[in-house]
Amino acid sequence: MLKGLSFLLTILAVVSTDAHAKLKVGTTTEDLEALVKAVGAGEVQTFSVAKGTQDPHQIEAKPSYMVKFRDADLIVSQGLELEAAWLSSLIQGARNSKINSGAKGYLELGPQLDPIEVAKGSVTRAEGDVHPQGNPHFQLDPVRLGRAAVLVGQRLGELDAAHADLFRANAETVQKHLTEKLQDWQKRIDKTGIKEFASYHKTLSYFAVRFGLTNSLQLEPKPGIPPTASHIIEVMDEMKKRKVRVVLIENFFDDSVRGKLEKEIPAVRVIKVPVAVGGEPGITTNEGLIERLVAILEAAAK
Amino acid sequence: MHFRFGGEMILGRLWLLPLFCISVTALADGESHSSAGNLRTINVSANALFLYRNSNLAKEDVSTERNGLDIQEAELAFYADVDPYSRLNILLTVHPEYELNTMTNKVEQTYVVAPEELFAETSQLPSTIIKVGKIKAAMGKHNQLHAHGFPLTDAPLVNSVLLGAEGLSDVGISAAVLLPSKWFSEFTVQYLRGEGDNKEFHSETPGDGVGLAHWKNLWDFSDALTMEAGVSYAAGNNSIGGTASLAGADVTFKWRPAVGGKYHSWILAGEYLRRDLEQPGVAAEVGAGFDVWGQYQFAERWSAIARIDRLRIENSSPTVNAANALPNDTTRKYSVGLTFKATEFSSYRAEFNYADGPPAANGQTVERKMYIQANFVIGPHPAHTY
Repeated sequence: MLKGLSFLLTILAVVSTDAHAKLKVGTTTEDLEALVKAVGAGEVQTFSVAKGTQDPHQIEAKPSYMVKFRDADLIVSQGLELEAAWLSSLIQGARNSKINSGAKGYLELGPQLDPIEVAKGSVTRAEGDVHPQGNPHFQLDPVRLGRAAVLVGQRLGELDAAHADLFRANAETVQKHLTEKLQDWQKRIDKTGIKEFASYHKTLSYFAVRFGLTNSLQLEPKPGIPPTASHIIEVMDEMKKRKVRVVLIENFFDDSVRGKLEKEIPAVRVIKVPVAVGGEPGITTNEGLIERLVAILEAAAK
Repeated sequence: MHFRFGGEMILGRLWLLPLFCISVTALADGESHSSAGNLRTINVSANALFLYRNSNLAKEDVSTERNGLDIQEAELAFYADVDPYSRLNILLTVHPEYELNTMTNKVEQTYVVAPEELFAETSQLPSTIIKVGKIKAAMGKHNQLHAHGFPLTDAPLVNSVLLGAEGLSDVGISAAVLLPSKWFSEFTVQYLRGEGDNKEFHSETPGDGVGLAHWKNLWDFSDALTMEAGVSYAAGNNSIGGTASLAGADVTFKWRPAVGGKYHSWILAGEYLRRDLEQPGVAAEVGAGFDVWGQYQFAERWSAIARIDRLRIENSSPTVNAANALPNDTTRKYSVGLTFKATEFSSYRAEFNYADGPPAANGQTVERKMYIQANFVIGPHPAHTY
């Protein structure tokens, strides 16, 4: 009798442990991992594939990530083809039907966040490594991040109903906090007097649009194509004409054009900047990343 | 121009290929255009390899490997989810083959269209991918690569000589299980029917198949450095009344740092392969060898590569195995190459190799060969295999 009871209790303990096991959530970038951590608040285990110091377009599909994907309950991606070259290989290799595209365990955020720079008409690779469905780098827009937090919260709640209220409340808190911070960041950017900056790639488009800045000059002649001498001359001519004095180079790109820019454009500030959580030591949250960018602009204006 | 489909010469049916391509492209474009979204039916991509070759052994019209510019291979890939349970992959290749016409003593070029791989797969079983159809056998690491993914223009000697020009590939069934370990550990078993392009497994007895097992492991030593190690074994009956067996081992180190990895990385890899063919009445033919190669990416779009190949054949008997006997000798080959990867969709490679082995038809034992290769891809992003 006692043996039977002991066995029953053991089974119940195992089932109970399983029922309260934390959700395992994999994200394609550290930005999304930070967001999931903020919403999950200790009730989820997370990992990210791309590091904040890596170009997320160019990640290798390491089989070791397939092992993590095998055990995942949810994969969250930025989407809009940012991870097109490697994510499907990881999902297929994981052999985990829970995270297949279309399943509840797969969440692609980009298409649900009103992407900008959606291609009009048909585009071809002659225009570079284009993202026809829109720019996928929404991680630098606090408003879209807030909406992404809500989407993440909803999905976590669907997968773990016991904590659905907690996830929803956390997501709303994240969204509210980012919205409040938005006003402060806007004021500080306005105060710098900077109206326009150039960048290496279109990684900062959402940041620029959100804060009323112009970022139409890229050092890349076309997306995914490294700078050429003739294109840099064109960019410098435009910068001179439009009195653009700030160049932000995403820190996973080479800044070898710095010397030329500093020589040709008086008082230009060429700054390597983090564009992802984990992009620099100490940047561990989405808010911290945007805070860092705002501080960089403030320093550039001095 | 001659045109063949999968080995059967079909003259004057060249129109079939564009018709097929148009049909499939139409299907691929056949998305449902509703306000709710699009249904993507088929992914279509194509790859073309153009090759300039110059070898001191290859002379126009008297060799089956010509000097000059040629289409090395074109590959058409169609793949899609069939339904929630399965996925279909069709990879057709178009490549030239050369045959010496003994009547005219001239080499004639034939374009061959063949399924390089054509299989359905499912991952509905826990931790397992099942494939059915024509597949590249999981015999080592290089054998599973497609020509456009080769580290150098040509395959290592052990692969091209012991497994044939197209590698070990056949119709069969495959199960690849991801083992429940903390590191990546995959065990693959395959059964092939033994009637593919690979002569070593052409048993005269119908129904004789080939069994194959492959175990692949990968460890992350750090965010930057990984080590992959695999072992493989295959066995079946050969065409001369004995058994054929293959044994292989491979190891690959890859380094790409999380900071600056876009501009600098390296790979160091080696693969060993041995083939034993039983021959009635005489000792078994043994072919064994290895290749070791290293690649260093020194700029965003540039990388240099060097490879050493060695292959030894013993006891090959022209009397017992007349159709497929090999010269009993040792071949050493040294290759260097430089690759410019313009984008993910195009790359260019210059390569030089020096081989010292058994005498060719003209008695020379040394071959010096130069390749210039251009590689183009159209379609969706090519998957970054690891």
